[in-house]
Amino acid sequence: MLLRLLSSSLGRSQAARELRWMQQARDSGASCLSLEDMVNRRLTGEPLQYILGTQPFGPLNLLTRPPVLIPRPETENWVIKLAETLSPTPSKPVTLLDLGTGSGCIPLLLCHLWPPGSINAHAVDVSTHALRLAEDNAKLCGFPSRSSEEKPHNTFSSHKANFLAQDFSQVASRINPAFDIITSNPPYIPFDEYLKLSPSVLNFEDPKALFGGPSGLEFYHAIARLVSSKDILRPDAMVALEVGHNQARSVESIMRATGRFRLTEIWLDPWGKQRTVIAHV
Amino acid sequence: MEDKAILRRFKELEPLEDAWKQWQRTRKEFEEAVSLLNDPATSSDPEMSQLAREEASSLSTSLESLVQNTFPSLLIPPSSTKHFSALMELKSGVGGSEASLFLADLLRMYQRLANVTNWRATIVAKNDTEGSGIKDATVEFKGEGAYDALRWESGVHRVQRVPATEASGRTHTSTVAVVVLPLVEEAESSPEDDLFTMAEIKLEVMRARGAGGQHVNRTESAVRLTHIPTGITVSMQDERSQHQNRRRAFQVLRSRLLDLKLTREMEERRNVRRNLVRGADRSEKIRTYNFAQARVTDHRIGLTLKNLDSVLEGDGLQTFIDAIAKHHEESLLADMLEPEDTK
Repeated sequence: MLLRLLSSSLGRSQAARELRWMQQARDSGASCLSLEDMVNRRLTGEPLQYILGTQPFGPLNLLTRPPVLIPRPETENWVIKLAETLSPTPSKPVTLLDLGTGSGCIPLLLCHLWPPGSINAHAVDVSTHALRLAEDNAKLCGFPSRSSEEKPHNTFSSHKANFLAQDFSQVASRINPAFDIITSNPPYIPFDEYLKLSPSVLNFEDPKALFGGPSGLEFYHAIARLVSSKDILRPDAMVALEVGHNQARSVESIMRATGRFRLTEIWLDPWGKQRTVIAHV
Repeated sequence: MEDKAILRRFKELEPLEDAWKQWQRTRKEFEEAVSLLNDPATSSDPEMSQLAREEASSLSTSLESLVQNTFPSLLIPPSSTKHFSALMELKSGVGGSEASLFLADLLRMYQRLANVTNWRATIVAKNDTEGSGIKDATVEFKGEGAYDALRWESGVHRVQRVPATEASGRTHTSTVAVVVLPLVEEAESSPEDDLFTMAEIKLEVMRARGAGGQHVNRTESAVRLTHIPTGITVSMQDERSQHQNRRRAFQVLRSRLLDLKLTREMEERRNVRRNLVRGADRSEKIRTYNFAQARVTDHRIGLTLKNLDSVLEGDGLQTFIDAIAKHHEESLLADMLEPEDTK
């Protein structure tokens, strides 16, 4: 019965899988909702990840809470690739700045994949919901905001700030004088596409995490401003930005126009879309 | 790693050492009994000489048993697959929904067996049908010896019964195909015995995601691996993230490739030793579960148990598994003892 209801909106095989994940969440005690409640919420278009309260991200199982953006598989893919591209060590640790961190998924996965003591991550978001969730996730994954003396740790700290603000580079410098890596999955959906989003995105996820201004590129211009200011990027620093399905070339030229980078590249996602712009100082 | 290999070798040689020690001890005792028997002091005492005779006779029987049973069994090389866990794939065959219902019964049977034997059973993938049937399932059984025991379950399992869904009361025959593969932990497989290189793998994601990224929050995590040299493909979509599905898919691929390697090695041995039990011919009907007569027959060794319930509860199944393993050992032994020139 529940399966039939779900099938009408998801198709049979997807409905069967989602129902099983709901059952698993209930049986494992991860969710205290009844199966009926879960199915009913799903039928209203609510994302499965909010109903279950978690989403796997690489080997991590992160908390999800409305309206904070749910971690996407495209992001999971490029962050794992980024983790394999660089190899920081406790003797040569890196400092990272993640802009618009949301659930904290990007810096937390890097903290998990790199050896203890090799990364100090700083996460910025304008939303208090997002910051609280990111901190909860950091606690869940076991990353303190400060390294202890006796044992090396990867650290994660969060900061409330708006990186669209003109004076953000000063805010960033106060967080840490300079960074080895800047990552971001900024809001990138342009106005005309925003209106055509599926209800489960449009009605449930934070517009502030999705809407990238009329052109969808507003936040990339802000990031370009940031990296252009003096001393934000260390020598050999790297910038990794997730972009919308048709934005890679535009974002690549925005980054090149800063004159800060000697090399840029574009990574494809598993579905063949140009998903990530990488810029090397 | 080297230490581990040495330890393993040590453990493998233990039965050999034990048998030799037992032989020496028993022989010494026998010699003592004989010399006591020959002692003039003993032969003058009827009670003592009776005791010594009994002692010598019993020890001689022990020695004989060592020579006839224990020593030959040491010839069987220790199983090289003893430490493997098992990955079992069940697929419903002929019989439609009744086959799916029977698959659910078999799955429960193996889960119960796992409880008794202390293997950890986890359903990796499963496709339910309407009703309470299961179209196909993949289950991992983690624990030492799981593969060695369950490998004999590979083949076609046949059920003869009146389906719950059959109004006319007619007996149906349906089948479920079982394939058991060796399962190696990622951490256990060292690079030198790795079964493939990443260059041989084609990895695809399934289903389009439109614009993808922030535009889509649907959970679509299905992946498909193709091992180009063998053409083996593995699809996995039961986990919630692509990363997990990918790990699962690689695990299944590793099992299939290892199975291929073991089968090939067994074929090679069989060319030399013709008596070896025929390996897993997966299209072969191995067992019939007859509900009307409450009996289960294993066609390979001709063993029938008239207690269907006990088999489905796992206990009777253990009897079958033990009997087939014993049969396998005996034929290995018979083959080894056969003179070289008759081969």
